[in-house]
Amino acid sequence: MTGSEQPVRSGLSHALSLHSVTKLYGSLAAVDDVSLSIPRGSFLTLLGPSGSGKTTILMAIAGFVQPTRGEIRLDDRVITNVPPDKRNFGMVFQGYALFPHMTVEDNIWFPLKVRGISKARASTAIGEALELVQMGALARRLPSQLSGGQQQRVALARALVFEPDLMLLDEPLSALDKKLRADLQWELKALHRKLGTTFIYVTHDQEEALSMSDEIVILRDGRIEQQGEPGALYEKPATRFVADFLGKSNFLAGKVAGRDAETFTYSVEGTELRQCSTAPVALGENVLVALRPEKIVVARSRPDLPNATVGRIAEFNYYGANYHFKVATPHLGDLIATTPAWNCDVEPALDSEVWLGWSPEAAVVVEDR
Amino acid sequence: MERRLTFGRCMMLGLAWTVLGFMVLPMLIIFPVSLTDQYYLSLPKESLSLEHYKAYFTDEQWIDATVQSVIIAVASTVASVVLGTLCAIGCWRISTSRASAVRTFMLLPIIVPTIVQALALYRFWIDLRIVDTYIGVILAHTLVSIPYVVITVSAALAGFDVRLEQAARNLGASMAQTIRHVIVPSIMPGVLSGAIFAFTISFDEIVMVLFITSRNVYTLPKRIWDGIEDHLDPTIASVATMLIVVTLALLLAELWLRQRRSIARGRASGEA
Repeated sequence: MTGSEQPVRSGLSHALSLHSVTKLYGSLAAVDDVSLSIPRGSFLTLLGPSGSGKTTILMAIAGFVQPTRGEIRLDDRVITNVPPDKRNFGMVFQGYALFPHMTVEDNIWFPLKVRGISKARASTAIGEALELVQMGALARRLPSQLSGGQQQRVALARALVFEPDLMLLDEPLSALDKKLRADLQWELKALHRKLGTTFIYVTHDQEEALSMSDEIVILRDGRIEQQGEPGALYEKPATRFVADFLGKSNFLAGKVAGRDAETFTYSVEGTELRQCSTAPVALGENVLVALRPEKIVVARSRPDLPNATVGRIAEFNYYGANYHFKVATPHLGDLIATTPAWNCDVEPALDSEVWLGWSPEAAVVVEDR
Repeated sequence: MERRLTFGRCMMLGLAWTVLGFMVLPMLIIFPVSLTDQYYLSLPKESLSLEHYKAYFTDEQWIDATVQSVIIAVASTVASVVLGTLCAIGCWRISTSRASAVRTFMLLPIIVPTIVQALALYRFWIDLRIVDTYIGVILAHTLVSIPYVVITVSAALAGFDVRLEQAARNLGASMAQTIRHVIVPSIMPGVLSGAIFAFTISFDEIVMVLFITSRNVYTLPKRIWDGIEDHLDPTIASVATMLIVVTLALLLAELWLRQRRSIARGRASGEA
C-alpha cells in the first residue's frame, strides 16, 4: 500500500447523487432537503454532531432508510427503491458487525457465498482481501478472538471483497484508541487511493474528516451547513457553527468603523481591530470575526501587528507539542491562543502579562448562526 | 461470604427445604414403587425387582404407545419451532406496537386453561374430521408449544445486534439468506431451548389427548392414565420413572444451553 500505485479499479468507480432527499420521523426532519453530488472515485466525508442526520443519509444511501421525499441516483440510475442487498455497496458499520459465529475467512466469504460462489472458487478473492488489510495470518480466528483494530480490518476486507460500486463507512474508527485511529487513517486513505472506489465516510471527528477527505460536507440539524475541500472549509468557514465545529475559533463581535480597498476596521468595546475582507461591508454594520487560536501570536512585548491586545494568562494547558493559553483581555473577553511549546516566547505562568497579536488576514468574517 | 446462623435464618432455610421436599418427594416415591416385587402399585415388600421394567420393554402396547408419543412429539416440535421462530423473528424485525401485540397474542395458549382449549379443539376437530388422527394431535400440541418457542426465541433476539442483519443485507444476502445464515445461527440456543420445551410439553400432554383421541391414536400418557383407571399395574411406575429421567435430562440440557448463552453474552459485552 504505497502512494505511488495506480488505482486498480478507478474505471469501475461510480458517482452518487442525492436530489432533495428528506426523511421525516413523524413531523421531525432527520434529513431536510439534502442535495449532494459525489464524484467518481472521491473520498467524501459527512461530518456533523450527533443528530445532524449524517448517519440517516448514509443509511438512506445503503437502503436501510427509505427517504420520505427525494431521489438517490447511482450514475444515472435511480436507486431510491432498490433493496439494500441489490445495491452492491460495501459498508463498514460502527462496531464492525462481524458475524460472531463465522471465522474471519467465512465472514469475508459471506458476500461471495450469497452470490452463489463456492468457497473453493472464492479462495483467491478471500486471500487477496485478507492480504489487502494484512490479516492473512488470522484467517481462521473467530471475531471474538481479535482486537478492535483487527476486527475493523476484517470488516473492511469483507466490504471490499465483492468489488462494491461504493464504499460506505459509518464511524469505523470511533471504537479504537487514539494511536490506532491515527494509523488506520493513513491506511484507509492509502486503500482508497489504491482501489479508486468512491468512499462515503461518516464521522463526528473533525480530525478524521480533515485528514482523509477530498471533500467534507458539514451537516447541522438535517441540512447541509457548508461543503468543500478540507483546507477551504477550515480557512473560510461561512458560519459561526462551522468555525467552531471544524477546529476551534475565538469569536469577536463588533461594529464596522471604517473601510478601505481590502480591509475594514471594526470596534469591539472601544478596541479598533483591522480585518481583511473581500465581501462588502457597510459602515455601522455588525460583524462577527472568527479567529483561530493557532493564528494568534503570543509575545512578551507588543507584537508588530495591526491587531494587538494585552491580557493576563487565566489558564494554560501543556500538550507536549503545544501550549494552550486562555488569556483574559480587558476589552475582547477571554481569547484562546496556542503556540508551539518549543518556541514559546512567554513564561507559562498564571496571571502573567502577555501580548496577543494577529494580522488582518489571519481571521475570517462569518455569519452569526 | 460467611453468614451467622441466626434463629430467623434457620426458620427460613427450614421452610425453604420443606417446600422443596413437598414438591419433590412425592415424585421420588415412584422410584421404589417401580422396583416392587408385587403385582399392584406398592412399595417393595420382600425384594427389589426389575420385573416391571421388563414388562414395559416386552409389552407391545407400551412400546407402541411410546413410539406414537415420540412421533407426535417430534412432529409437533418441528412444526412449533419453525412457526414460533419465524413469528418471533417477524415481530422482532417489524418491531412496531402492532408486532408486540401479536407477540402477546401468541401467548394466549399458555393463559387459556388447557381444558377449555381441549374442548374448543374437540368441537373444531370434529368439523375438520381430524379427531383421533395423528395430524389432529400434532396440530393441537403445536398450538400449545408455539408460545414457549416464541418466548425463548424472542429472548434470544433481544440480545441480537440489528447491525448484523443490516450487514448481511448490505453484503448481498436476501432476507431468507439472512435468516438462514446469520439470524438463526446467532439465536440457536434460544431455538434449541424452545425445541426442548415443545418436546417435553407434547410428550407428556394428557388433557387434549383425552378429548381428541379415542382408539387410533394412543399416546404414552394416555396409556398410563388408562392403566391407573383399569388396574394398578406397577409398570406405570417404571414408565413414570423413565419419563422423569428423560424429562430431567432435557431440562438440564436446556439449563446448560441457557448458561452457555449468558456466558457468551457476558463475554461479548465484556469486550464492547
